[in-house]
Amino acid sequence: MKKIMLTLKINGDKYEIITYPNRTLLEILRDDLLLTGTKESCGEGACGTCTVLLDGLPVRSCLLLATEVKNKEITTIEGLAKGEKLDPVQESFIEHHAIQCGFCSPGMILTAHSLLNHNPAPTEEEIRFAISGNVCRCTGYAKIVEAIQALSNRGRE
Amino acid sequence: MRLPPFEVLEPATLKNALSMLEKHKGKVKVIAGGIEIVGLMKLGLSAPPYILSLRKIKNLQGIKKNEGQVIIRSNTTLREIIESSLINDLFKGISQAANLVAAPPIQNRATIGGNILQNSRCMYHNQSELFRNGLKPCYKTGGDMCRAVKGGNRCFSVYQSDMAPALISFNAKARLEKTGSSRTILISDLFTGKGENPISIGENELLTDIIIPIPKGQYSSAYEKLRIRKSLEYPLMSSAVFMSGNKNGEIIDACIVLGAAGSYPKIIDRASKVLKEKKPSDKDIEEASRAALQQVEVADNLPVPASYRRKMAIIYTKRAIQKALKDLRKDRQL
Repeated sequence: MKKIMLTLKINGDKYEIITYPNRTLLEILRDDLLLTGTKESCGEGACGTCTVLLDGLPVRSCLLLATEVKNKEITTIEGLAKGEKLDPVQESFIEHHAIQCGFCSPGMILTAHSLLNHNPAPTEEEIRFAISGNVCRCTGYAKIVEAIQALSNRGRE
Repeated sequence: MRLPPFEVLEPATLKNALSMLEKHKGKVKVIAGGIEIVGLMKLGLSAPPYILSLRKIKNLQGIKKNEGQVIIRSNTTLREIIESSLINDLFKGISQAANLVAAPPIQNRATIGGNILQNSRCMYHNQSELFRNGLKPCYKTGGDMCRAVKGGNRCFSVYQSDMAPALISFNAKARLEKTGSSRTILISDLFTGKGENPISIGENELLTDIIIPIPKGQYSSAYEKLRIRKSLEYPLMSSAVFMSGNKNGEIIDACIVLGAAGSYPKIIDRASKVLKEKKPSDKDIEEASRAALQQVEVADNLPVPASYRRKMAIIYTKRAIQKALKDLRKDRQL
């Protein structure tokens, strides 16, 4: 297996990486770029902790070969805040105590961020469907839905 | 879970892709959304020397309507299908099936081609190498025993696609291309009937299009799926129903297809016969649903017992028939 050169666009920055082709985006993010906000749990697409945004849509970085995402915009949880200013979704999660152990939070927040970008005023049902691919083992879903709903209402005002 | 070593092939045109498939025949796996192949490679269930990516091939995505049919290119994501008003207007059951696949982040990457060509699954097979190494090899891995059925003389793994039953209920076809030729066959003919190797497609062939004929007259469709959680699950049993009717409220034609009921989608001919050429009564619906049972071939190899799945084949078929019938009557005031 020969090493290859990959150019990835992550959080607006360009990275040139020389690596083996059999690596997932998740491995590159965590092991090579030390962007450890993206978590690994099940490793088979069932839990959602490794969620990143690919051209604005949530996807599983554990099932994504890094070579498949060349020239695409990747956003990780590190890319949401602007300097010291948190993203409204992050602020809302803190405000509504939607974080317990925090392991699902990066995935939940990115998924919610993408949902609100595509649909500024989602209903509770739409919110629940959007985050249905993200598992919270603390089972704190009610607070998470509330945090997203708060922003949805803001969109309606 | 690390992936085994492989080289990535990235053809820029369909023609190049086909010649690469020909050249590396048997040693190459195609990656579209990657949902299945990456998972299988992680478990050590697949280790191809080459991975052929479709990402650079233009025009292998999209949905278009022409001359009485709708063509979905194979690399179209399930999200595109869910969001397509064309599909939702013409083929409700197909739209419903796509919407019930896993969860949105999977639908964002998973493709219709990948969903149809997925391998069959079994809870004794789709496991880590460590787990499998503790057991004797089964039919699926080249051995001569089945872990799910004591004394079983074949593989009982389950084909768990949501899209295939819904597409088959509409008589959809698949276009397969290889260097120098192509063929178009019914999706229901894509299956070998064997759990060991459920899909019958040549190693040098690429699925390029799904062709769905637009039914004539008044018709409706529905898809119902059994799963433990409301998301992130393969079907444990599912039923796709298509029916067309006339002005008198009679059913002219019906097609009922079960998913996750064996190693290929099962077309329940008897159920169609019971419903056809009449205004089905509750008793007819009950009889048609019970007919589903005759073709269910299930074993204790998924997270719920076979006995439960068998019962649910009746329930979910009934629900799908009722849903489609309600839709048919509502839309057309039959």
